[in-house]
Amino acid sequence: MLRFVVRRLLLLVPILIGISLLIFGWIRALPGSPAESLLGEHSTPQAVASIRHQYGLDKPIYVQYWDYVQTLAHGNLGTSITTQRTITYEIGHRFPATFELALAAMLFSILVGVPIGFFAAKRYGSAFDHLSLVGSLIGISIPIFFLGLILKWAFAVKLGWLPSIGREDVLAERPHPTNLFILDALLNGDPGALWDAIKHLMLPAIALGSIPLAVVARITRAAVLDVQNEDYVRTARAKGVPPLIVDSRHVLRNALLPVSTVIGLQTGLLLSGAVLTETIFAWPGIGSWLKDAIFNRDYPVLQGGILFVAVVFVLVNLLVDLSYALINPRIRYSR
Amino acid sequence: MSIAELEAADVALEVGGGGGLWSEAWSRLRRNPGALAGFALVGAFAAVAIFAPLIAPHDPRDQNLALVGISCCPGPSAHHLLGVDPLGRDELSRIIFGARFSLLIGVVAVTVGLSFGLLLGAVAGYLGGVVDSLVMRLMDIMLAIPGLLLAIGIVAMLGPGLFQIMVAVGVANVPIFARLLRGSILAQREADYVLAARSVGVKRRVILVSHVLPNSISPVIVQGTLALATAIIDVAGLGFLGLGPQDPATPEWGTMLTDTDRYLQSAPYLAIVPGVAIILSVLGFNLIGDGLREALDPKLRGRA
Repeated sequence: MLRFVVRRLLLLVPILIGISLLIFGWIRALPGSPAESLLGEHSTPQAVASIRHQYGLDKPIYVQYWDYVQTLAHGNLGTSITTQRTITYEIGHRFPATFELALAAMLFSILVGVPIGFFAAKRYGSAFDHLSLVGSLIGISIPIFFLGLILKWAFAVKLGWLPSIGREDVLAERPHPTNLFILDALLNGDPGALWDAIKHLMLPAIALGSIPLAVVARITRAAVLDVQNEDYVRTARAKGVPPLIVDSRHVLRNALLPVSTVIGLQTGLLLSGAVLTETIFAWPGIGSWLKDAIFNRDYPVLQGGILFVAVVFVLVNLLVDLSYALINPRIRYSR
Repeated sequence: MSIAELEAADVALEVGGGGGLWSEAWSRLRRNPGALAGFALVGAFAAVAIFAPLIAPHDPRDQNLALVGISCCPGPSAHHLLGVDPLGRDELSRIIFGARFSLLIGVVAVTVGLSFGLLLGAVAGYLGGVVDSLVMRLMDIMLAIPGLLLAIGIVAMLGPGLFQIMVAVGVANVPIFARLLRGSILAQREADYVLAARSVGVKRRVILVSHVLPNSISPVIVQGTLALATAIIDVAGLGFLGLGPQDPATPEWGTMLTDTDRYLQSAPYLAIVPGVAIILSVLGFNLIGDGLREALDPKLRGRA
């Protein structure tokens, strides 16, 4: 197992170098100069030159890349041109928001999707089964931003049950040691803050979780149908194991293997979807930050932010691979 | 693409050339209610796109600010079946003309992704060795950046616009097709018929084009249909973010959804109508893709 882990970690190195090259090259190909966009109407040739010098934009391109890699190696991702804060600070502030949102969306899709898929397969061919199939097809056909708008309209505008923007009440002044608002509320022992954070989280999480929900339900259904006809399930039934135990221990546990892979693959989708969801719900995470950076031509933010997202994505996929090898004895220690 | 080939397969069936992959697939597809619903949706959607100038009751660019009150737009009425937008333009006509853009967007984006992906995948899979490693590592790197972010990045480079977002979504699709075809070709490369062709002296290029590719293509066709669905959603998403056509008169569905949350209180149909149009067209392609996947599954062959 250790060799497998080390091998997978070593494979990360060329990918990370490739990503840094790709992002670096892409940033230089962007139109418009950041110095001019920073100075706006007041830009003079002297001011532009001094900004270009300050950010090292006047050096040869390979020197710029080498500088970039060196600062990266020191854990320094640069400074945002628009806010003048370091990228590491911004990520530290914003990633917990995206993480909380993505985690809630994932939980929603698993807690709702797995039971739907399971019961659809148990009642194969029934009205519920057909309904679940149609529902999941519609689920993957709804654009996230449209679902977000509709949820906002129904639950925030029409019914007024849930807030439609932000992470907490705008007037609230609460300490946030971890920036994970639900965890913060628990740490502070503040039930009001906890409920406030959950209320704000619900609509964005449902919007972001809709596609994974449809996919998880479909895969669970297919996997349960597959596993149900396995010899070991028939054996368990034949020897008189109670149906509930057969379902939970033999069927569901084995059916969840393919489901776990799919959950990992959906992470990329969650990170992509976060850009749209965070924009609709004014969620102060990585997604809305990157979107703003594009419009502000904030190069360091794009460079650092996309690199960060790509690294998170690669690491999550690695974790999924490792956990898959761990829970599935048949493919453990792949050569 | 898939529809044309299916029609070709249908002709073959009528001529009596049954038993082939495509004729079998078609006969299974015809009995799949989901796929038929998909064909109906996509057919209707294509018809609307083609005959837009004939169907649309108004010019989609005609503004009539006199219709628009202080609290925004009057809703559906006999004269404007789906109401008007904040500039007094007929919503129904905009949706009808928008069908043209969505169809075009889907087809162009997938064509870009498919052609480059197929080229890279075929070359990598057939040549193997260093070329294979180089191409596939590049694909891995592209796949390491979540699709929509990659597309946003490309739009940032090319500048916003309808054509640019199509290309961006297409390029983001390249690694998916390249991987798929490479895997498929690797499986076919070792097949006996390739060995036979090689042993009688057929050129490598001919083997690739006329033997390996046709046998590796069916998963690509399924993926292509499903990619049309995703492409429409992704392009609409980029339009929604404001990266789409910069001429606000262009009735692109995603762009039409931008800013509608300001009118959710007074005119929710402004968000609902384009959203439902997107869902229906995407659903159509998803239904066809699912049907094709079942119809082309070699494990199910012979059970038609």
